[in-house]
Amino acid sequence: MRFMVFVPGGKESEAGVLPDEKLIAAMQEFNEELVKAGVMLAAEGLHPTSKGARLKFESGKTTVIDGPFTESKELIAGFWLIHAKSLDDAIGWMKRAPFGGGVKLEIRPIFEAEDFGKALTPELRKRDERLRAQMKENQQ
Amino acid sequence: MRFMMLVIPKGYASAAPGTLPDPKLVERMSKYNQSLTNAGVLLALDGLHPPSAGARVRFAGGKPAVTDGPFAEAKEVLGGYWMIQVKSKAEAIEWAKRAPMPDGDVIEIRQVQEMADFTPEIQKAAGPTRLGAQ
Repeated sequence: MRFMVFVPGGKESEAGVLPDEKLIAAMQEFNEELVKAGVMLAAEGLHPTSKGARLKFESGKTTVIDGPFTESKELIAGFWLIHAKSLDDAIGWMKRAPFGGGVKLEIRPIFEAEDFGKALTPELRKRDERLRAQMKENQQ
Repeated sequence: MRFMMLVIPKGYASAAPGTLPDPKLVERMSKYNQSLTNAGVLLALDGLHPPSAGARVRFAGGKPAVTDGPFAEAKEVLGGYWMIQVKSKAEAIEWAKRAPMPDGDVIEIRQVQEMADFTPEIQKAAGPTRLGAQ
């Protein structure tokens, strides 16, 4: 099973403050451990919401709002994409992350093709496989 | 530049485990995804099970505490994402505008940090892990 693990944003990440060298080194060690165990698939950090935008789709209209999103309490600053045997296994790995100070990570299972059952017709499945192959080419 | 288009579906915070997207929406999304791939901008995408199928880990007092989903305090939760490669934020917004979103949904566009965005000291401290991940 694949999981996405979200790292919450806060005042510091929103102000563009980068973590200190000590935390980066600790994170580096943790990431190396994840990679060695074949658990980590990807990890990315996001720029503050001041560099982003939100689009609201409502009543047939699309409204664009430029960041920062000061009204939102649930901003994210980055994520891991991991491979684990179960939710418990994913939790076990993420408990070892070098965080403190009340940081709350959110772990969410990703939809895989088999989760859709019969709703994913052979045609849709083929299309999905083709799409994923093309995405890989775009990543090169 | 890479951008994430994060989907915040209306009402997803309280969706039951096993909730699947509407097949008609899947069909429309599939076409939209194909247009992103044909343009060479799509790098990755995934859908997320509702928060009721997930968990949160809180780090305080030296001991991580686990809470199972759904998360009572959450108002906005993510339902999935696209990762795209485009030339500007404006181009990312143009792509997001074309997404066949159900009424009340929100897409949040966020720029992804690249190694080149950091100082040499930070690049050195971060090491090759990210590049080593497959």
